Amino acid sequence: MTSLAPPPAAERVPPRDDPLAPTRLLVVDDHPAVRAGLRELLADEDDFHVVAAVGTAEDGVEVAKREPIDVAVVDYQLGGRNGLWLSRKLKRLPDPPAVLIYSAYTDGVLSAAAVVAEADAIVSKGRIGSELCQEIRSAAAGRRHLPAIPPRLGESLRRRLDHQEQAIFGLLLAGFDTAEVAGTLGLSPAGMESRLWELLNRLEGIPTTPRT
Amino acid sequence: MSQVAPADVRAGAPALPRAASASPPAPRRRYVPLLYRVAAINAILLATAVTVTIALLAPGKVSALALDGELVVVLGAVALVVLANVYLLRRVVGPIQALTAFARQVDYSTLGQRIPEAEPTSEAGELALTFSQMLERLQAERREATGRVLRAQEDERLRIAQELHDQVGQELTAVLLGLSRLSAQAPPGLEENVLAVQDIVRDSLEDVRRIAIELRPEALDDLGLPSALAVLADRFAQQLGLEIAEDLPLSLPPLPPEAELVVYRVAQEALTNVARHSASSRAEMTLECDLHRLVLIVRDYGLGLAPGHTPGTGMRGMRERATLIGAQLKIDNRRSGSGCEVRLEVPLETQR
Repeated sequence: MTSLAPPPAAERVPPRDDPLAPTRLLVVDDHPAVRAGLRELLADEDDFHVVAAVGTAEDGVEVAKREPIDVAVVDYQLGGRNGLWLSRKLKRLPDPPAVLIYSAYTDGVLSAAAVVAEADAIVSKGRIGSELCQEIRSAAAGRRHLPAIPPRLGESLRRRLDHQEQAIFGLLLAGFDTAEVAGTLGLSPAGMESRLWELLNRLEGIPTTPRT
Repeated sequence: MSQVAPADVRAGAPALPRAASASPPAPRRRYVPLLYRVAAINAILLATAVTVTIALLAPGKVSALALDGELVVVLGAVALVVLANVYLLRRVVGPIQALTAFARQVDYSTLGQRIPEAEPTSEAGELALTFSQMLERLQAERREATGRVLRAQEDERLRIAQELHDQVGQELTAVLLGLSRLSAQAPPGLEENVLAVQDIVRDSLEDVRRIAIELRPEALDDLGLPSALAVLADRFAQQLGLEIAEDLPLSLPPLPPEAELVVYRVAQEALTNVARHSASSRAEMTLECDLHRLVLIVRDYGLGLAPGHTPGTGMRGMRERATLIGAQLKIDNRRSGSGCEVRLEVPLETQR
């Protein structure tokens, strides 16, 4: 593992059969005004359909279990469990949506954690008005867009990990999906799952569990 | 013991600004030292006793003394006894004087020192020993108070950062979203104005974010000092375009959280100063550690300090924090080449 750049854009099959149907969105933000603002902004776009706008990660999972979602638009900090926790939960669904995380803090640490949480894109809050729609369309088309992780930071983060975690982190950075990584390292799905949660906790500046 | 009182007050309240405790001591009243007073009283008593004894035993002698050499012998004997008295008294009073001199120079940086020959074999020794024990107590209390002050300060910063993010940041985000929507619906003449307002809000949001990040070193708890410093350098590189060459150790011996915090904050302040004042876009950050000390060095390649430069509030605050954990902070122009060097040296043995 020498490259620390985020995974290359993966060519994925578009999740919907009808290319003209609007992209189905789920909005998750704990702040009512931001949630309402986002819903209205996105509803103005002809090619978007906001399925639901909810305030917690848990509610987000519930909605996604009931209704098909193409892109989840999620605030990183949600008061309780955060956006990356939600991302990992959504990616375990049978037909997982693309996950776009927006955050006030978009740095290398968040990028690294987002790779482990299998998020597809990170957007800075300052760019949320102008670039969000474009980023959503890009994520819906199956493109991944995470800010680069500076090599030195990646190195420093990796030093905090044990051998197996380093291997998992490295393979995920190289663009392998979690099933492939588990296969390569001979881990059971359950083992891989718990390792990923530990890794995510270790990489994130902020714990995925609610702050006490 | 009146000399000790100021140290007591200072150690009990480390949050007080350093300047308040460094004010010049009140002028001391001059007095005749104990040694000379006791020696003088003894000499007077001795001379009186000798004179009275001679006068009682041989009344005729007193007037005759002036005539023969016996006066010299008597005076010589009295002088000898007085000198012996002064010598013996000096041995008794000496340790008290030494203790006074020691107590006078006790301050923040020397609280760890002990009086070497303090043994309970005399009243003076007892006093010195008690004084040593009091210093130890003060140091323990000071360390505890230091930790409390630093923790309270960090908690407060975290609270403000969260408030900024959760309230101001979110509301600005909502405004930004509203403006985006408005700009799409605005008639052609108004659209430009809305976009201009949007830019201002975006800048404000950026400011709130930056301030919140500066306020909370959340990476410190989770990643440890070396990684937290790497994250810090990464942020400076991303946000301010600083090119920072780091030399950080793989791991460190366990440090008290207060010491880690001070090292982190000094690095943060030093890099902020590089970005703001040095007119240089390159900096070096190294962290070295051996058994006895941890040394943080932040260098830049910029203008350096102007002659007669006075440190800003940020650096003064850092110096106070460094003093609280017994560390030394030096800010100087580099000896070779251009630019400024910030050096923080944390002694490790006093940290445990």
